[in-house]
Amino acid sequence: MHQPPRLASSAPPAPERFEPVAGLLAIALPGAGHLYLGERRRAALIAGGILGLFVAGLLLGGIDVVDRREDRVWFLAQAMVGPIAFLADYVHQEHLKVKEMGPGGRLVYRSATPQERRSGGVYASRSVGRMNELGTLYTAIAGMLNLIAILDAMFHRAGGGWGPARAADSSAPRSGGAVTTATEQPA
Amino acid sequence: MMGSLVGWVPLLDPIDAHDAWFLFLVPLSFGIAVAYKAVRSRRLDRFWGQVGVMTAQIVGAMVLLWIVSYVVVQVVVPMVAPPGS
Repeated sequence: MHQPPRLASSAPPAPERFEPVAGLLAIALPGAGHLYLGERRRAALIAGGILGLFVAGLLLGGIDVVDRREDRVWFLAQAMVGPIAFLADYVHQEHLKVKEMGPGGRLVYRSATPQERRSGGVYASRSVGRMNELGTLYTAIAGMLNLIAILDAMFHRAGGGWGPARAADSSAPRSGGAVTTATEQPA
Repeated sequence: MMGSLVGWVPLLDPIDAHDAWFLFLVPLSFGIAVAYKAVRSRRLDRFWGQVGVMTAQIVGAMVLLWIVSYVVVQVVVPMVAPPGS
């Protein structure tokens, strides 16, 4: 009886492997986890896409779009880009905002008024309207996409990808771990 | 827009493009497609083609949602609840 050839898509998916180091590197810098796993081109594309979105958001809306004090919920998404989001927020809070003593002796951070900016101080502009919304959206989506990249690096399928093994796009994967690839079973 | 770029400090100040804000949804869709396909594509040899398709799908979905929203707000709602009722 003629057996139709088994398609590669019907092959069982390669086993998943927990890669904590890759996951931590992906948290530290978008694409670094996949670079550690030996997927250079994929790492470059991930880094380009995610960091490109984040920087584009800052260009569109200004650094005011990253603000953990005034936009805490959005910052939760932006923070998933990694330390670069925290760096942007630190620079925004400590160097580009006006700090003054508020009620109770607490230090209060606020955006500079146009007069304060014209007086010669280096302050960030208050971002409002559509450009603020776009900048916030760009940076927050970058963070959420990096979450996908982190999970993909951390729970890496031996041979790559989900479902059947995906083709290697660079040099051989790093040694030290069992790597199996899904192969087509003979009819 | 070009005149308003005078004195603009990149990364510190927002761009003054409020009249053409919707155009920036296209590069947003492109960035989403690049990052998503980079993670989820099994093969990267047809990567840019897949990115182009996904970008078009996102932009098309946005346009479709805009059309549906416009019809609902401008046509359906006045029919269901006429002004002055």
